[in-house]
Amino acid sequence: MKPAGDLHTIPVPAAIIDRRPLSDDTTFFRLRLDDDVAPRFSFLPGQFIQLSVPAGGEVPISLAGIPGRHGILELCIRRAGHVTALLHDQPAGAMVGVRGPFGNGFPVEEWQGKNILLLAGGLGLAPLRSLLYYLLRMRHDYGEITLMYGARNPTAILFKEELAELSGRRDFHLFLTVDFATEEPAGGLTCRTGLLPTLLRGVNFTLENTVAAICGPPALYRCLIAELDTFGFSAEAIFLSLERRMKCGMGRCCHCAVGELFCCTDGPVFRLTEVREIEGAL
Amino acid sequence: MTKNFLNGDDIPRFLEILAGYGALHGPLLTEDGVIAFRPLRDPAHLLLDYQRTLLPPKKYLLPPRETILTYAPATGYRPPDTPAPQIVLIGVHPCDLTGIAYLDRVFLGEDPDPSYRARRDALTLIGLSCDPDDSCFCDGPVTTPTECDLFMERAGTGYFLAPVTTRGREMLEKLSPLLGGRETTHLTPRAHPLVPEIRRVAARGETFDASHLWDDFAARCLSCGACSLCCPTCYCFDVLECGALDGTTATRLREWDNCLFRAHGEVAGGFNFRKARRERFRYRYRHKYLGFGPTRGELACVGCGRCRAVCPVGIDLLELFTEGCHEARR
Repeated sequence: MKPAGDLHTIPVPAAIIDRRPLSDDTTFFRLRLDDDVAPRFSFLPGQFIQLSVPAGGEVPISLAGIPGRHGILELCIRRAGHVTALLHDQPAGAMVGVRGPFGNGFPVEEWQGKNILLLAGGLGLAPLRSLLYYLLRMRHDYGEITLMYGARNPTAILFKEELAELSGRRDFHLFLTVDFATEEPAGGLTCRTGLLPTLLRGVNFTLENTVAAICGPPALYRCLIAELDTFGFSAEAIFLSLERRMKCGMGRCCHCAVGELFCCTDGPVFRLTEVREIEGAL
Repeated sequence: MTKNFLNGDDIPRFLEILAGYGALHGPLLTEDGVIAFRPLRDPAHLLLDYQRTLLPPKKYLLPPRETILTYAPATGYRPPDTPAPQIVLIGVHPCDLTGIAYLDRVFLGEDPDPSYRARRDALTLIGLSCDPDDSCFCDGPVTTPTECDLFMERAGTGYFLAPVTTRGREMLEKLSPLLGGRETTHLTPRAHPLVPEIRRVAARGETFDASHLWDDFAARCLSCGACSLCCPTCYCFDVLECGALDGTTATRLREWDNCLFRAHGEVAGGFNFRKARRERFRYRYRHKYLGFGPTRGELACVGCGRCRAVCPVGIDLLELFTEGCHEARR
């Protein structure tokens, strides 16, 4: 999907209206676009923006918030390099730049009437949070909704309070796991120990009429796919949000090609059957 | 009898007229001893009998480094307001014109790139037929490509001029006092024997998975990136932000990048999708011969022969195709 107007070539200003730490290295940011831009900026879960820190640089970041809120963008950003470190130093009220939205997003319309299994590893929760809130808002259009989320350790679990609140819902299943546990996660969250594929193996979920959406660190995809494979999960029903360092977002800079596809314009969400045979895709 | 013949002796007057359309640039021998497209300060320096320049004309459309945005707190991000210079590029061979046509498809397709658009509109192209050497493997050194404004076909002591665009026809009109008729035969188009095979392979989406050449290439490759730098259709770029010393203003630059460089496939946190040279080689091959994004299925190699000529360790992707031919015959 191509963004409308000039929102894709020149960063528009956005104010940081809220920020709070989510873990040691990850911060939640809420941005507000100017009123003249807000009506033109609509996005789907799974799309991303190019976020500029003036005089610092630009990085591709997943949209983690609920689509359709007038000019409000929520982001979940890990301090991973030059630009994200500068961003972490920006106080509430500071201005940043936004281009986008870019990419295709999850095919939420195609999924209507289906059970949805969300599999998130670490920061991969960001785009799936956007998707989850979208699905919960359109709750009647979907069957069972399950989120399985794995983090390194209890302190690395993102959005603890939100997840604790969501875990009380009867129309949503939440399963958490951490790789290593030396303490209990705060907020009364129930959490298992082990890797995400192990969690997947140990949980009963409906296979029939179910689609899976996966996002996580590069190493996660292969093992989750292998696990889903052993259940007999159809490759047609597995959707992956892939990570690449998109520099332009317009299918030009050529950093994000996956086979003949571009992650920034054809993705970042791909059906497993599209990319399974592509060298270097996963 | 063919019309529009320009005598070689009239080249200086020809250039004077062309100068009315912009600053003249063309191939010349630099002080460093390389052939390069440069501003023509002295018409006598123009080389109309040359094999290939070190860098292709893509540098006029995608400068190695250019400012795409500037930032100031008061104005936010803004595109630079310097207009693109009017340039007449003389003596561009058909392979390089084909390269420009390819870049046009990438940058002027859906959502045209503003900077490329401005530079392209300000560039007048005067094509020139050539005489292929051993490194060339194009499919027609004398064909009149549609990308140039005016095409010069060498014929004995002069050139036949053929207009292609409206601008070209207008130029020809102004040049008419210099032109005459001449009885002569046109050059015969001849394609490199490997061209049909390359086209077949590209159409099939062949990736030569079983070839031992990938490991051989990867073992020799120095990741210097010369092959991409000098390729008329390699356009991948990096985006850099250069903060000024005042700490608040900045320029955003677009700079040529290179898929053979290790950082090309890296993502945040250090994971690299193309860590090994072999993977980067295959990425380059895929882009060059099979295309991706808006050019998927399109052959990007124009046969200019630069990559074969400049590789310091003699890597030649054509070996893949010749090997393929031998396999097929077996």
